[in-house]
Amino acid sequence: MEKRNSKRSKVPLTALKKGESGNVASIGAGHGRGGGFEKRLMDMGLTPGTRVTVVKSAPFHGPLEILVRGSRLALGRGMAERIFVEKE
Amino acid sequence: MNKKKLLIALAGNANVGKSVIFNHLTGLHQHIGNWPGKTVERAEGTLHFKGYTIDIVDLPGIYSLSTYSLEELVSRKYIAVERPDVVINVVDASVLERNLFFTLQLMELETPMVIALNQMDIAKSKGVQVDTKKLEQLLGVPVMPTVAVKGVGIAKLLEKAIETVEKKQVKKQPQVTYGEEVEEKIGKLMEKMKSAQLVYPQRYVAIKLLEGDEEIERDIKRINPEIVSAAKKLAGEIECIHGHCCSTVMTSERYEAAGCIARAAQKLVSPMKPSKVERLHNFTTHRVTGYLTLVFSLLLLFYSIFTFGDYTSGMLSDLLYGLEPFFASVFGTGIVGSLMWGGVMEGLIAGITIVLPYIIPFYIILYFLENSGYLSRIAFLMDNVMHKIGLHGKAFIPMMLGFGCNVPACLGCRIMETQRERLLAAFVTTLVPCAATTVIILGLVGDFLGIHWALALYIFNLVIIFALGRLAFRVVPGEPTALIMEMHDYRWPHMKTILKQTWFRVAEFIKIAFPLIIVGSLALKLADVSGVLETVASVLSPVTVVWLGLPAITGITLIFGVLRKELSLVMLAALLGTTNFALVLTPVQMIVFTLVAMLYIPCIATIAALVRDFGWKKSLFITVFEVAFAILVGGIALRLLTLFL
Repeated sequence: MEKRNSKRSKVPLTALKKGESGNVASIGAGHGRGGGFEKRLMDMGLTPGTRVTVVKSAPFHGPLEILVRGSRLALGRGMAERIFVEKE
Repeated sequence: MNKKKLLIALAGNANVGKSVIFNHLTGLHQHIGNWPGKTVERAEGTLHFKGYTIDIVDLPGIYSLSTYSLEELVSRKYIAVERPDVVINVVDASVLERNLFFTLQLMELETPMVIALNQMDIAKSKGVQVDTKKLEQLLGVPVMPTVAVKGVGIAKLLEKAIETVEKKQVKKQPQVTYGEEVEEKIGKLMEKMKSAQLVYPQRYVAIKLLEGDEEIERDIKRINPEIVSAAKKLAGEIECIHGHCCSTVMTSERYEAAGCIARAAQKLVSPMKPSKVERLHNFTTHRVTGYLTLVFSLLLLFYSIFTFGDYTSGMLSDLLYGLEPFFASVFGTGIVGSLMWGGVMEGLIAGITIVLPYIIPFYIILYFLENSGYLSRIAFLMDNVMHKIGLHGKAFIPMMLGFGCNVPACLGCRIMETQRERLLAAFVTTLVPCAATTVIILGLVGDFLGIHWALALYIFNLVIIFALGRLAFRVVPGEPTALIMEMHDYRWPHMKTILKQTWFRVAEFIKIAFPLIIVGSLALKLADVSGVLETVASVLSPVTVVWLGLPAITGITLIFGVLRKELSLVMLAALLGTTNFALVLTPVQMIVFTLVAMLYIPCIATIAALVRDFGWKKSLFITVFEVAFAILVGGIALRLLTLFL
């Protein structure tokens, strides 16, 4: 998972458009219980290097629908903003 | 071989069909309780098979065995401490990789296990073909393909599980092998713990220490704090090598292993075109059609439940009230008779006419929506709105339930992840007007002032919910959690499981609410018979008459409305001596009365439900706050409304 840490630009997951994919680069530390949520994201399969596809986002800055490791997840926007990906 | 006992635990991700398998195995011999001291549900059942008496425990659906949620902690402790003879790991064949991630963690707990490879049919329709033999070989654990909703493979699964126990297979299951540098550190830690008496397997403890698991750290600190600090140092070294924190590295490697096994055991045949379920998903989560569907289905839900409920409830109460002459003949018409009938029986009737017509259909529909997958789509669509009050999308579900009855709604707040969010969700839920409140709103304001006023009150109620929700979110310490939720594919739910889940919920409701409804009803009758009501009315008159501008007699209704909410209007009519409220109440008085009844704590059964999950202190606080708030708003409304009306 190191080798991907090249110069390619990292963008938050929310910057991906509908149907675009990227590989998880890092998860920004949140405040407070942020650590617990990072773990939770990992447990749901969003580990570094994992390919994520954004299917759509709910209107008015709602959550994202993403595909990860063959499963479909709903991800709150605040959370998604902290996930940085390398765009494919 | 006779009367041998076995303990089997079911474990797996959420929505993989675990409860369906549980129901197949245990039939009617099951009961649901709580884990001791926890608000986590524990379903248990027994069955007899091949001379064995088998206890089956259905562990909560979880994605990992860390300490993220109470459910995860409870499950892991159960497996390590109670040591079930075998764990049946239910795996969703259509999402193999993520499910195997959990399987690998179970294996690290070194428990004997069997895998139920479930939802083979859904996997097939998604174009996923899993080679069972290959999977078995790669994992070193017996694998049995099942289609639980159709009952396929269940008997064989049980046989396999027993076989595993009988063989007492001592051979160690292959486990995840982490990277060299990680393995070396695991080894070092295991060396240090050699002599320690541990609840969890040694390797597991070493792994969890490296991952910084709080619970395990606490345990080990008691034995030897040096081990914890050594683990911290080793974890730091791993972080240096990889540039990610140690737990991230290990989770990644575990997922890597799960991915490898999944890829080797499954063949992906890309489906030709988006399937029906796929299109349904797109339609129901679309920014336009999704919300239309949501509004439409909620309206349909409430309309059908209230229509059905109203009709059946009327019929039932006619039927049950037919017993009155019989009661009179047994207990007489004196004090005893009127206490027996007006207290106990009327309370019982009230309970029955709520449960059968409203609560049962509500739960059936709710579980249908949940098991089919629609509830998670609702949470997806409503996440944004719920965030305004500091909660995430899932909290919309108990709120929705609250419109039916606040008691199950408060209990339903357990779907939230943290205790803080459970409390916030429950608080908001108690402000939702339940079916009984709706009767007051429609029967008083709706009938006498017009439906637009009733609607205005509903909208005002929503505004209050948002305002107070926001306030509570600010005041209660802690961080908000974000939505992370799986939206599994739509599927046709298993009806028997739905009925059973409904039955358990209803039983729970009866247990909490019925005694209170009866006691409340008895107290009410007793007060009536002994003539205390007048005194209560005059004691409350500073609030009711002076501040709220209502007739003194309404004080009684408001006090006893807590005992029997649905009676508020009937009681009001009885006390005022007419059902034509327009003769005795001004429009402003009607609105003020309804407002207060709408906002103060729903009823004694709801308070009991709150106490059960949050303890006395918090429940009392919510109760007192809501009563005070309702009175405050009522008084302000009076003063404002008299300016306009």
